[in-house]
Amino acid sequence: MTSRYDLTRRTLLGTAAASMALPGIVRAQNPTEVKVALLVPISGMYSRFGTVMRMGAEMALDHINAEGGVRSLGGAKLKLVVLDCGDTTEKAKNAAQRMVAQEPDIVAASGSYLSSFTLAVTEVTERAQLPVLTLSYSDLITARGFKYVFQTSATAASQAEQALPEILKLAETASGRKPQTVAIVTDNTGASVASVKPMREGLLQRLGLKLVVDETFTPPIADATPLIQKVRAARPDLFFFLPTVISDAKLVLEKMNEFGMGQGKVPTISFGIAIAMPDILNTVSADLLQGVLTCVGNWGVKGQEKLIAELKSRYNEPWMDQNAISTYGDMWIIKEALEKAGKADRVAVADALRNLDLGPSKYYPGGLTKFDAMGRRVGAGLTVVQWQNGVPYTVFPTELATAKPFWPKSS
Amino acid sequence: MSAQLIENMLQALVAGLLVGAIYGLMCVGLALIFGIMRVINFAQGDFMMLGMYAAFYLVLGLATQLGLTGGITPYIGILLTGPFLFVVGYAIHGFLISQVSGTRSARLEGEGHYAQLILTLGIALVIQNGALIAFGSQLISIRTPLSASAWTIPLLDGDVMLFVNKARGVAALISVATIVALTVLIGRSRLGKALRASADNPDAATFMGIDVARAHRVAFGLGVAVTAIAGGLLATNLPFHPFVGIDYVIVMYAGVVLGGMGSIGGAFWGGMTIGLVQQLSTLILPTQLQNTAIFVVFLLIVFFRPQGFFGRVAERT
Repeated sequence: MTSRYDLTRRTLLGTAAASMALPGIVRAQNPTEVKVALLVPISGMYSRFGTVMRMGAEMALDHINAEGGVRSLGGAKLKLVVLDCGDTTEKAKNAAQRMVAQEPDIVAASGSYLSSFTLAVTEVTERAQLPVLTLSYSDLITARGFKYVFQTSATAASQAEQALPEILKLAETASGRKPQTVAIVTDNTGASVASVKPMREGLLQRLGLKLVVDETFTPPIADATPLIQKVRAARPDLFFFLPTVISDAKLVLEKMNEFGMGQGKVPTISFGIAIAMPDILNTVSADLLQGVLTCVGNWGVKGQEKLIAELKSRYNEPWMDQNAISTYGDMWIIKEALEKAGKADRVAVADALRNLDLGPSKYYPGGLTKFDAMGRRVGAGLTVVQWQNGVPYTVFPTELATAKPFWPKSS
Repeated sequence: MSAQLIENMLQALVAGLLVGAIYGLMCVGLALIFGIMRVINFAQGDFMMLGMYAAFYLVLGLATQLGLTGGITPYIGILLTGPFLFVVGYAIHGFLISQVSGTRSARLEGEGHYAQLILTLGIALVIQNGALIAFGSQLISIRTPLSASAWTIPLLDGDVMLFVNKARGVAALISVATIVALTVLIGRSRLGKALRASADNPDAATFMGIDVARAHRVAFGLGVAVTAIAGGLLATNLPFHPFVGIDYVIVMYAGVVLGGMGSIGGAFWGGMTIGLVQQLSTLILPTQLQNTAIFVVFLLIVFFRPQGFFGRVAERT
């Protein structure tokens, strides 16, 4: 028969032993590494964009791990899993399916450059309850009522609303005349379509601009003659050009020059990153790019000099574009969400992302590192980048600018 | 008809002819392999891509090693790509394609076409990913100032201004010259006779003392070389990457079928038709439907003339 004294002693001893072992058990439950995914095009015609996103992710993970990893998980290191979403939406969706099936311990992902890819990928990740951060622009990404997608860039419509008044102000100040007519030549990818939608639906009219050419093409084009012939016939004051493929940017810029409208004769304003990628200098003369403006969700800005220098020395990239800096920022957001969640669980990380508030944004222009109910970053701004002597500098917003803008001389 | 409308039509026509001439050359390369030898080759677009890279590095070599930097240098480099890719095609046929084509195809299911399809798709994957490793994902193009400049032709007292892109114009001339040279080689030379005999009736050609296996290797090498030259010419205007070939394989097959199986001249006109439809369709259709227009016209032509423009009735599509 067990006496009350014996029982108490054993209980006490057991409790003491358990208390001593508990931290060890808790420590054992913490993973040594936590997997985060990067689902981007590594092959096909968009591979260059995905490659740069990978650079940003690798840099971020090295910095996070060097600073002690995820402290709330006992210093667990972040491990990058890169998946190739190829060059079609079908391949992107298949890659997402592979990712959720084969890597069930991934806690969050970043991707997938092209809005069309992100739209397809997030259909899969939403069902798998895997949070995805994206730099893609299409408004549709966060307008479907999804709970596991977080958009760090300003949406395409918002970018157009923010950028156009600034560009018109610049044109008017520099040339003394307000532009009256505009030609739009856009590809039919998700972000481009979303950017021109508000322009077609009243934004241009509100700004006093008349749309004289409105052409949509499927990338990649074989020849830009039919498109630019229409621009030439209309002779607009401004030319809005929205490519997502560098080859289309080259063909259009060269055709503009060939038809006597290049080098600022008809000021060219682009939307998106394709026209400011380093690769374009492998294919187009810097003279043809001089003065070209592009409105981008993010770019290397004032205050990020150290990061830019590291990217240059480590990967031989001439400048830090949206894909590198936004993906770098995404990894830090995932890290902070993991700190807040306190466990390597995708649903907990998604919940943490929804409630995250890190104050003023550090790696994205304007706004906060906080997401609204739709998954959009609160107060997200944009950058306007201008080609000046072979380098695309940030010229807007002024407080983040690395150069002053100028208006190309029209003939 | 207004001057503007005339200008739009003429400009689209010129663009169609210039693009079509390069497509035509591409198609001629495939016609030698698919149209004549009946070897299904899904790696043809990737051989074209190899031609683009070969031309790029040859042009770079001519500029850095020999100091040739004039406007003609890119075109010398592009033409030198031909012999280089001929050797590549000749070797690949000797080691791989010959296992599933020619006299060996008789022992294989579907006359070896299934095996050819799988083998050439495999070769395509190896070439694409090998190129990605070797050359990286960066876009490059063969730089020439001609690509951003045009010959301007005023018409109707200057009311109509026609622009002819210089790089495309030179490329079109080289395309036509290459096809003429190839036609003379196939039609007049002893080698050409051997190639034609081997394609028409391999058994009879063997009895006549022709080395049919060698003739097939030569034809495959020639087909690869011609498409590679077309790729180099295209690269003076169009930036490329290791996966660019996929976009053009369909154009090549459509051109060969349109022109008529077994006809080199037909393949050129097939490619030219694709270029013209692609550019002229934008006059009446939205630009994003220009590739749809190609296949609508393709289906119409195949429906009304299944043997293609220059094909024999016995060789219907």
